[in-house]
Amino acid sequence: MGAIDFLLHESSVGYSIFQLVHQPDTIGNRLREVQHASQDLSKFGKIIKLVSFAPFQGAAQALANANDVSEGILSDYLRSLLEMNLPKPNKKAIVLGVADKNLAGSIKAAFPFIECETGDTSEVVQDLLRGIRLHAPKLLKQLQEGDVERAQLGLGHAYSRAKVKFSVQKNDNHIIQAIATLDHLDKAINTFSMRVREWYSWHFPELIKIVSDNQQYARVVLFVGDKKKLLGDRIHDLAAVVNDDGDIAQSIIVAAGVSMGQDISESDMANVLAFAKRVVDLSEYRKSLFAYLVSKMSIVAPNLATLIGEVVGARLISHAGSLTNLSKYPASTVQILGAEKALFRALKTKGNTPKYGLIYHSSFIGKAGQKNKGRISRFLANKCSIASRIDNFSEAPTTKFGEALKRQVEERLEFYASGAAPTKNEVAMKTAMDSVLADIKIQDPADDDEEMADIIPSTVQKQGKDKKKENKKRRHNGMDAGLDRTKGSENKEEKAKGNEKKSKKRKHSEADGEADGEVDQTRSGERKERKTKGTEVKAKKRKHGEVDAEAAEGRKGKKKKSSDK
Amino acid sequence: MNFAPRGRGGGGRGASRGFSASRGGGARGGTRGGFGGGRGAPRGGRGDSRGGRGGRGGRGAPRGGRGGARGGAKVVVVCSLVVLMPYKSNCLKEAFPRHSGVFVARGKEDMLLTKNLTPGESVYGEKRITIDTPASSATGDGNAVTTKTEYRVWNPFRSKLAAGILGGLENIYIKPGAKVLYLGAASGTSVSHVADIVGPTGIVFAVEFSHRSGRDLINMATHRTNVIPIIEDARHPLRYRMLVSMVDVIFADVAQPDQARIVGLNAHMYLKEKGGVLISIKANCIDSTAAPEEVFAREVQKMREEKIKPKEQLTLGKYKFSL
Repeated sequence: MGAIDFLLHESSVGYSIFQLVHQPDTIGNRLREVQHASQDLSKFGKIIKLVSFAPFQGAAQALANANDVSEGILSDYLRSLLEMNLPKPNKKAIVLGVADKNLAGSIKAAFPFIECETGDTSEVVQDLLRGIRLHAPKLLKQLQEGDVERAQLGLGHAYSRAKVKFSVQKNDNHIIQAIATLDHLDKAINTFSMRVREWYSWHFPELIKIVSDNQQYARVVLFVGDKKKLLGDRIHDLAAVVNDDGDIAQSIIVAAGVSMGQDISESDMANVLAFAKRVVDLSEYRKSLFAYLVSKMSIVAPNLATLIGEVVGARLISHAGSLTNLSKYPASTVQILGAEKALFRALKTKGNTPKYGLIYHSSFIGKAGQKNKGRISRFLANKCSIASRIDNFSEAPTTKFGEALKRQVEERLEFYASGAAPTKNEVAMKTAMDSVLADIKIQDPADDDEEMADIIPSTVQKQGKDKKKENKKRRHNGMDAGLDRTKGSENKEEKAKGNEKKSKKRKHSEADGEADGEVDQTRSGERKERKTKGTEVKAKKRKHGEVDAEAAEGRKGKKKKSSDK
Repeated sequence: MNFAPRGRGGGGRGASRGFSASRGGGARGGTRGGFGGGRGAPRGGRGDSRGGRGGRGGRGAPRGGRGGARGGAKVVVVCSLVVLMPYKSNCLKEAFPRHSGVFVARGKEDMLLTKNLTPGESVYGEKRITIDTPASSATGDGNAVTTKTEYRVWNPFRSKLAAGILGGLENIYIKPGAKVLYLGAASGTSVSHVADIVGPTGIVFAVEFSHRSGRDLINMATHRTNVIPIIEDARHPLRYRMLVSMVDVIFADVAQPDQARIVGLNAHMYLKEKGGVLISIKANCIDSTAAPEEVFAREVQKMREEKIKPKEQLTLGKYKFSL
């Protein structure tokens, strides 16, 4: 590719297209004189000429375009600008210099007659774009001094605000905060409980020996209050406080009678009780917070939670920063997550690297024998990694995989202990996959109805949904290559079922048939067929809108098609 | 090129280097000023001013908080005359010899200062000092009337750039009116001082990837119109090409294993010719097993390959950053 004809410059004030009047030399590009030429506006101004400048109409438009540009999407505004200002070539393609290769791809897709050169492929383009960027405020003659800066400031704020506002990991954040709060609460409750014991013991020292559990102790304190008022007739109520243990209740009452503790004034007692009340409340709040964490985990990371437990799972997410981050980590990193200090020390001293980090707190590792702790840790980390990926990238949360993975880990433990052969990975994954698919099958009719309810008019939306489904399928396929083979039979089965459903539903309405077609389509294993059919369906849909009779015909055609299968 | 590593003992892991991009020969650094090689080690304001930033969890543990007061014994008072003057009210202020826009307060403790762009406001709880400016001072107002000017104390224990200045960097390229691309802006504490230095005629493009610290950065930027906050990954400079113009200097404090590449990418897109590059390298973040000196040397080599030539190198081991 040789000469560059046009250059596209995106700035905060608008898009501008420059034409190259004077082709720069590729060979002498790095010479000092050439470099200096782009420094000097008078020289640089002779090389290029402004063809068109399209300013943004307002802050909203600028922001929308900035987002598109940063993602490499060709916005409508830019498209129309290019359409208006670039000449249709008669023989050879015109070459446009753009900064970003993603945007170049989008432009190429929209305008087949434009060839794009980017800063990566051509040093000339890069230098020219640098030059334009340097002189932009002067080259764009309509602008006043400071316009670009002002626009940059406004746009920078708007862009960054939008970025901060739109957070992908909304749910993860709550998990991270909840687990951190939980940790703090545990610590606080412990110290507070110790304080309660210390304080109340001046009055009733024997109680510590009888009720050793911290929280129960606080509750008993709250119930008893002044020990002199604790008489035999309250034994049943007291027993209710100490888990219906009559013996403990009895011994408390006895101890209260012979206690060597000091007497306590009313107001002192009121303060002790107020504090005990706080501790009890705090531990109740901890319970509700834990329930919240569990429910949150079952939404965000159900498989991970099933496999390793909610708390450890939440800790892993919190340490990685988000579920997405965690799912990107290799299993070896997950294994020692939380043991960075030990790891780096080991790396530096060339010693042994740690065997486990946060996942040490999982019950599996405790169950393993001393010799096998490292092995089971590695195995568990592998499974955690898989679970987090399933959680992160699947749309419909299910715990099926988590259960399967957990079973695998248990079997592995058993294998280390007794030598019993564990289930093969392929088999285990297949059963999990099957059960997930079975679930989907059951849910399908409902899905169809839903789809019908909100779609009918727009094809676009439907396609989007379609794609999603397809993706899901593909992902499932990718997850375990071993499954692919088994899938064929699965699909056949499904297809049969789909057809059955279809024939039943066709009676209902037109839209019904359509939706079913979609389902059938996504179901079929063979991609090629799906594609051809997809176009058919689309075409059909358009007809639907126009004439009913034609639609009926289309349906007939489809029937034929399905019977072919 | 006068490439002179000036590590000052200790061999700590952090280091900051001054570079000059040289598409066709870099400019020579300025001459050394007479300020005792920055030995004064002024204590910065006390670093315990983290109010209002609580609840910061997980990564990015609060930076700073290490009070300068700990170095009390090390403070060398250069000018004995001023020691007797009451602290704060009569603080004598002078321009830092080599860097315009940066000032030094001489007193019981020497302090690095920048002129506050938004008088009456602290960004992160740092101390402010108001000084009556006589007519012929560095601020350059011709009136004989004294005007009150407010300065903010710049703690070298919290900002690598401040530490670099005190360590004796010859040229930081950041000066009034300059355009600065600041990679790794974090919460905007150092950025605010850079914004003070460049003043209303300059611009600081502050790039930060983390949403959490980006929030603070945006807040800071709302009060300083010469700071343009950009919440985006510095690895992809193209993504923010609509927000940035050509800059005079790039300051990078990204602490990533591939930071030389990141700086290179940004420099190719946005750095003017003969512009400056300041990069702070934390050896531990790049290779924790290799010796720090080796890591620095490797990074310098990488920068050379990006056509960025080293001019100064400085070890910041003395200022132990808590990062």
